[in-house]
Amino acid sequence: MSDAMDEQAQDGRTTIARLVEHVVPELIERLTKSKLGELEVRENGWRVRLRKPLAEAMAPPPAATRTPHPVMAPGVHAASHAGVGAPRDSARGIVASPAVGYFAPRRGIEVGASVRSGDLLGHVDVLGVRHEVVSPVDGALRTFEVESGQAVEYGQPIARVEAEA
Amino acid sequence: MFSKILIANRGEIALRIQRACAQLGIASVVAYSEADRDSRAVQLADEAVCIGPAESRRSYLSASALLSAALVAGCDAIHPGYGFLSEDDTFAEMVRAHGLTFIGPPAEVLERFASKAGTRTLLAKHGLPTIQGSPMLRDDAHALAEAERIDYPVLIKPSAGGGGKGMRMVRSPRELQQAMTICRSEAMAAFHDDSLYLEKWLEENRHVEVQVIVDRYGNGVHVGERDCSVQRRHQKIVEEARSPAMNDGQREALCEAAIKAVVEAGYENLGTLEFLLDRDGNFYFIEINCRIQVEHPITEMLSGIDLVTEQIRIAAGEPLGYTQQDVSLRGHAIEFRINAEDTAHDFRPQAGIVASYLPPGGPGVRMDSHMYSGYEVPPYYDSMLGKLVVWGSDRNEALARSRRALDEIVLDGIVTNLPLHRALVHHRTFLDGEFTTNLLDRVGSAAFLDAAAAA
Repeated sequence: MSDAMDEQAQDGRTTIARLVEHVVPELIERLTKSKLGELEVRENGWRVRLRKPLAEAMAPPPAATRTPHPVMAPGVHAASHAGVGAPRDSARGIVASPAVGYFAPRRGIEVGASVRSGDLLGHVDVLGVRHEVVSPVDGALRTFEVESGQAVEYGQPIARVEAEA
Repeated sequence: MFSKILIANRGEIALRIQRACAQLGIASVVAYSEADRDSRAVQLADEAVCIGPAESRRSYLSASALLSAALVAGCDAIHPGYGFLSEDDTFAEMVRAHGLTFIGPPAEVLERFASKAGTRTLLAKHGLPTIQGSPMLRDDAHALAEAERIDYPVLIKPSAGGGGKGMRMVRSPRELQQAMTICRSEAMAAFHDDSLYLEKWLEENRHVEVQVIVDRYGNGVHVGERDCSVQRRHQKIVEEARSPAMNDGQREALCEAAIKAVVEAGYENLGTLEFLLDRDGNFYFIEINCRIQVEHPITEMLSGIDLVTEQIRIAAGEPLGYTQQDVSLRGHAIEFRINAEDTAHDFRPQAGIVASYLPPGGPGVRMDSHMYSGYEVPPYYDSMLGKLVVWGSDRNEALARSRRALDEIVLDGIVTNLPLHRALVHHRTFLDGEFTTNLLDRVGSAAFLDAAAAA
């Protein structure tokens, strides 16, 4: 690795450390206290955007029984997904992640919303490329299983859509 | 040193890398496809990330899925194993651009050695006798012209990958034209790259390769040669070290020439230089593999050097820390690749459930496998189930232990190539160390097995 690259990587790590230890916790605190749904900070080519979990705001009471799915835990999978394209278990309305990356719900989408099959629910960001997360069925968006900005793996349940009767 | 490594591979090599990481005190994360959810590596993993569906192109061959998994899991390095993206300089560069380390040669070194024709020219300049070959073939007309120049028989080889896929030996322009189409489609199916080139075919040749380790500062050692002459359709089945076809003087000449050439040419990390050895003991360089190889354990058995650990250390920028004088090779080792293949039906790959599996044990026996009783072999990937590696203080002891270990292994529920191995260790030509790369294909593997059964 060249010195320039080394330095760049070093700078990057320092910035990330500062973001993680100071900037992000402070932003979280401010966002929690405020009525805002979203906060964004830009600096030196870095951008941090925090969004309130929509599920928390819109679907009271918060599902205490549902522990957030640990992304990296092996062998803990709610459903198995086979087939081509984004894996999905349409019968049960489980929307599974199409890729490994970071999830962000579509701006403005709310739990309880009525959605059509193919409607955009959000994105999984893979190295800056957005992979669409769409509803597998017509119905109502029941829950988001993951929060905005949370890391997801391929096939991980992201949301549940209750199919229309 | 790294704090967390993403293992971007599957099967036994994922397990092998996992073991090296555990011994080094480095955390590891297993990247797996949906088809490998129940794999041994995932079961043993502290962390595992599902990267995509069974189809390799969207999982183990997807640079963005693997890199995204590494970033999400907080890894600072990626080990690519063998096959898949292990020698892909674009992937190595992507890994570096995201601030992570590719465990293998740096991108620019991979790029320098990416062209087979270019590498032959480069290493010839540094004193290696090389096999005659062509540049990448543009079309059939170019292939015919190059074959004419090199002189038949020639071997058609795919630019990417290995494992004998997309390889054909041809003796005439007509055969060449027919084979080109088949090789192209095989190479495309296996590696998503159908570029081909030609190499002069030597009759009755042996395949011998030299393991090298070179650090970032130009310190390099060779760890002896391996003989991979037992092949079926250009696919290695049994490897041994040292080569039974060479004497000490020949081995030293080969290994010294290899390490000198790669160090001078600026190689870095682990590598294997492949050579053809003719009847008269002349060797010709054919290609370099810039990765850990399937058959690396036989070299580990002789040298006591953990090659995966060395790969990781060097990628982390550590100096080699020893010299050629410190490398001593003791005894003889043989590796048997155990594949899920039906020897009775043209070695057709098998999928299914391993009903019961008990590895052999005892002195000098090492079994590297991701199998367990109840393991379901997925149909999507290569058919290798594991590698039986046997060491003895000399070749005869290694052979005796091999016969014993091959009889001891329990592997039920799935058809394997064990009958071939059991026949080989009693076969006169193999016992005499006189196997050549085309022997099995010349007599026919089925005929070979029938003859062994009748004897």
